[in-house]
Amino acid sequence: MKLTLSDRLFSVFVHLFVSIFALFCLLPFMLMISGSITEENDLIANGYTLIPKHISWEAYQVTFQSNKLLHSYSLSIFITVVGTAAGLTISAMLANSIANKRNVLRHPMAFFVSFLMLFNGGLIPFYLLVSKWLNLYDTVWALIVPYLVQPFLVFLMISFFRNLPDELEEAALVDGAGEFRIFFQIVLPVAKPILATVALFLALSYWNDWLLGLLFAGDERLYPLQLILRRMISNLTAASDLVPSGISIQPPSMGIRMATTVVTIGPIIFLYPLLQRYFVKGITVGAIKG
Amino acid sequence: MEVAREAAHEAAAPPARKSASGFRPLARSIRKSPSLYLLALPGVVFLIIFGYFPLYGLLIAFKDFRVTDGILGSPWVGLKNFEFFFTSDQMFPLIRNTVLLNALFISFTTVFAVGIAMFLNEVRLKVFKRISQSVIFFPYFVSWVVVGMMVAAFFGGDKPTVNEWLKALGLREVNWFYVPDIWPWMLTMIKVWHGAGYSSIIYLAAITAIPDELYEAARIDGASRWAMMRRITLPSLYPTISILTLLAVGKIFNGDFGMIYAIVGDDSIIYPTTDVIDTYVFRSMRYLNDFGMSSAVGLFQSVIGFLFVFGVNAVVRRVSKESALF
Repeated sequence: MKLTLSDRLFSVFVHLFVSIFALFCLLPFMLMISGSITEENDLIANGYTLIPKHISWEAYQVTFQSNKLLHSYSLSIFITVVGTAAGLTISAMLANSIANKRNVLRHPMAFFVSFLMLFNGGLIPFYLLVSKWLNLYDTVWALIVPYLVQPFLVFLMISFFRNLPDELEEAALVDGAGEFRIFFQIVLPVAKPILATVALFLALSYWNDWLLGLLFAGDERLYPLQLILRRMISNLTAASDLVPSGISIQPPSMGIRMATTVVTIGPIIFLYPLLQRYFVKGITVGAIKG
Repeated sequence: MEVAREAAHEAAAPPARKSASGFRPLARSIRKSPSLYLLALPGVVFLIIFGYFPLYGLLIAFKDFRVTDGILGSPWVGLKNFEFFFTSDQMFPLIRNTVLLNALFISFTTVFAVGIAMFLNEVRLKVFKRISQSVIFFPYFVSWVVVGMMVAAFFGGDKPTVNEWLKALGLREVNWFYVPDIWPWMLTMIKVWHGAGYSSIIYLAAITAIPDELYEAARIDGASRWAMMRRITLPSLYPTISILTLLAVGKIFNGDFGMIYAIVGDDSIIYPTTDVIDTYVFRSMRYLNDFGMSSAVGLFQSVIGFLFVFGVNAVVRRVSKESALF
């Protein structure tokens, strides 16, 4: 196929634009990784650089010995796993019920859920609800419960369940199966793709959340990873505080900030290649529906 | 047996009733398969507690709220909280910032997302396409706190990286966190970095729906790829662009608290151009303990946002009926 000059130029432009934008996306990550392995003296003298002048693993060595970080990491994992499992189950049950044609209340229920996507009480009532009325201030549950059911994800599942063939359920009903059995033993196995997508969205929102911690954590005991990171942004002593005294006389604070950041997004980097397509699938399905 | 009896009952009942209306079909349905409704119960209870119950808290906007007295115990002050906010010199900049920033975010993210989608579509080499798409999508997965750290590294501290670059190029350094006027653009750039990849996926999905015959016909007519992109790809995206834009515009009064607070934090010097309603409400609650006023502001925001969404939805309905939310 003969390519005209115009087409060739266009192709160059396209590839250039995409490459530059991709580089732009990559740049901050490069800075972070480089900053985490740069010698602290270089960081103090020159700031963070894209290429480390002298390499030093001290920041990681020191960070990995931090009990605070380990504790916070386990807390974040716990919150994410429990939140995702519980949230997925409750949301899927709700979605399945709304999608079911035999549910006489399904239309009002759907409206009930969608209304919340538009209007909510705002920050103050939310804060009072969780901390005072439910008395969850300074408990780990305050960091898990608020995100369990998210209307957007419920709708994603509703449209999936609606597209399931009726025969599936009908066959089970003829055999005399109860609703719970139908849901857990027949619908769920078939719904694995959408469950994976919703689980990932949920897990991501839990892992990345820092608002709940900011509002409801009484002290460091309940600081999820993101909150520990947040304190280090403008406060360098927070970084050196991370390290138990005795490990290092003068902890490499600037390096520690970057090392902690890398460690925080570590799991995401590892899992990303495997899980990316589920997110893409979820977004395209959700968008087509909308 | 049951079915026949029901049919007979239905036929005998004087005017024909839709099976979904009336209390009896509901009670019958619940009795027949209660588990169907039980399945929904945890979710419904959750939404009542976390979605609808807090609406009761909106009353705080009309009271001089004391935490110890609770909502019922605190005295009514009518519209005084609203008055306080509307007559303060805070109101206009806050609303302006909220709307302006969102407008910038929406427009720039859309432009880049559409551009990326269309250009990625033109890339022939599969490997290059897949890798760049993954890279461009990745920033979406990073939390705003991490982004805040990155911004601090590039632009803050004693030796911001960007300043070192400027120095190396012989240009003047900038005290980034002390210049309010540049921040709308900084935040927009950050927003594009974070969200363009995500939106581009939606546009890419829409592009794959464009029938190949259109391009074939254009090629036969001698059109260049550039012309094809301008005349076929882009116009085909107009519906998607409108819907997504309108949906985003519906939320224009809701500031992106997570993003802005993580990046700006308590750096009050740049508040004039970055402080939005949400961050203001948060600070009023957190640092001033002024529940009454911050509730009033929050309520104001919710109501305006709600009306706006309805208005926008009416417009969306005119553009393309199925895409409207309701």
